[in-house]
Amino acid sequence: MRVGISHLGNLSIMIKAWAQRLGGGLILPPANSQHTLSLGAKYSPEGLCLPFKLSLGNLIEACELGADTLVIASGAGICRLGYYAKTQEQILRDLGYNFEMISLNLSKDRLLGLIKLSKRLSNNASWFRVISALRFGIAKQIAMDKIERVVQKVRAVEQVKGTANRLYAKAIEAIDNADDYHTLKKVQRDYIDQLNHVAKDTQANPLIVGIIGEFYVTLEPFSNLNIESELGKLGVEVRRRTFISAWGKFSFFFNYLGLDEKSKIHKAALPYLKRDVGGDGWETVGEKVLHAKEYDGLIHLAPFTCMPEIVAQNIMSSTKENIPVLTILCDEQMNRTGMLTRLEAFVDLLKSRRRARNNTQHKGR
Amino acid sequence: MWKTFFEELGAEVVVSPPTTQVMVSEGSSRVVADTCLPVKVFLGHVLSLVDKCDYIFIPAVRSVKSKIYNCSKFLGLPDMTKAVIPESPPILDIEIDVNKGKRHLYQAIYKLGRHFTWNPFKVRQASLAAWQAHLKYRQLMSSQGLTPPQAIAKMTGEVELKAPTSTQATIALIGHPYILYDEHISHRLIHRLEQADNKVLTPEMLTTEELESATTRLVGKAHWTYEDEVVGAGVHYLETRVDGVIGLMTFGCGPDSQMMDMVHRRAAKLRATTFMSLTLEEHTTEGGVVTRLEAFLDMINRRKRRQIEVCV
Repeated sequence: MRVGISHLGNLSIMIKAWAQRLGGGLILPPANSQHTLSLGAKYSPEGLCLPFKLSLGNLIEACELGADTLVIASGAGICRLGYYAKTQEQILRDLGYNFEMISLNLSKDRLLGLIKLSKRLSNNASWFRVISALRFGIAKQIAMDKIERVVQKVRAVEQVKGTANRLYAKAIEAIDNADDYHTLKKVQRDYIDQLNHVAKDTQANPLIVGIIGEFYVTLEPFSNLNIESELGKLGVEVRRRTFISAWGKFSFFFNYLGLDEKSKIHKAALPYLKRDVGGDGWETVGEKVLHAKEYDGLIHLAPFTCMPEIVAQNIMSSTKENIPVLTILCDEQMNRTGMLTRLEAFVDLLKSRRRARNNTQHKGR
Repeated sequence: MWKTFFEELGAEVVVSPPTTQVMVSEGSSRVVADTCLPVKVFLGHVLSLVDKCDYIFIPAVRSVKSKIYNCSKFLGLPDMTKAVIPESPPILDIEIDVNKGKRHLYQAIYKLGRHFTWNPFKVRQASLAAWQAHLKYRQLMSSQGLTPPQAIAKMTGEVELKAPTSTQATIALIGHPYILYDEHISHRLIHRLEQADNKVLTPEMLTTEELESATTRLVGKAHWTYEDEVVGAGVHYLETRVDGVIGLMTFGCGPDSQMMDMVHRRAAKLRATTFMSLTLEEHTTEGGVVTRLEAFLDMINRRKRRQIEVCV
């Protein structure tokens, strides 16, 4: 069985780890590229969102490489994601590929569904092997996300721009190659250590910008033209709530116990938006309210025509919390120069706001 | 249905007038550009009501069938209106979600009724009357082949309808009711088709069972509330071999972008019925729509002629 999947940030490394341990044939399509995007955009209905187009591109490339089973995540959510599998299957069949489509309903089957699916795809490996493989993959994901959080901080203050990115790329490769928990731990420690020792500008007091918005485009650097690293170059520290490991931790484990990491965010959003609108719309509004005090600005990322985010975008502008928000819509027409100009202007605005605030504080004394 | 409900409770109901260009442009000036057209039109309607009433009723319709959800825009409608039209009168928003059980639904209706009366029995009576009105309306459409505006007119007894005259071709329109029957947005498409001696069919003229089974044939279990109107009606009409099917959708409609594509692919596979998909937005000009419509009708006529020639 040759299983094809689509990319989402560095998720593929976790899945690769599962596949290696389970001995299943995994066809990993090449990383997202302009080619992927053009393929996806060519065969998708034009009004669909970027995540759909990119993942369709991934699946086409996987089929080209000979995948005969495709796994697509879906959910009972109210956003179009729940319908992805049906449309993508139809498009791929019309293109003449022959495959079996498995849609993994994450919001219904949860962890058990994932375990069962892995067992099935690995030709009935023992439960022990399945669970230990999943656990190892998750450990890799957690390690990567931990390093990424450090990278977000270092990028803003490093003296030689790009050092953190280079280290991060190396770290991911090392994690990918790690074969047991011991090596993994060592890699994680090593790289966090190295990152902490990067030559830094100690005087700098970087601006803090929160990244909020839709799950896919915040996590997949290709789809947002690597916005976090660009912000790092401008000397901005990026914070973001969405991480694959954090999401998995809550939706697979803690939510059963009645702990919901989002309830705080939802509560904050209540005065403006009373109910879930699907996708991440509710969270977007809530995060604006929550972070208005601690961050200097917010960047709202959303795919073009994303329904929940449009609702959020419309509501956000009327909240009384005063924090600048820059909405960037991601689609296949997006270009780097345009985005950079907008980012520079936004960062300038934040800087002058901070200066103005500091001045009034001085006078107050 | 809602009109009956509120009138039974002793309230006066003000319905917004038909869409105008002013409404569309005022509505769109309030929201970000890529909001979908129906929402912009909706806000235009709310704006037109601002000075005329004490409450505005905007339900958040989450789902009306088990496990089938509405799109995000509907869910966020009350909150979005509050955010972008701060001057609007208090909004009566209730959440309709049958997935949460009957109790939730009844409570929601009761909560709504509380604005007008303290008496729960009165609310119950009003909702029953409203339900009867709704059933009558549905039945009028599916049995007599009326479009919703015609059915509403008939129920309020305003006009006597004339029977359709001879027909050139039968054209099915598929799409959401708020697009098909909005004369401004759809550029009086139904009227134009009828003027050209065509018989027009719409999703509402089918029974719920027909729609559901057609949806199931193509995509399995429906995911969206309006899937039956688009996919169900589309497949049904494609398979019953009407002369042409026109899919009407608006720019920026999320579910449509996927559903219409499914119907489109089905049409391409069947190769029996002419299919055209029209995407409308606030900039669509009348001339463009008319040209495409004429070309579409010509194509159907030519096709029919050729079939006759083959027979001879």
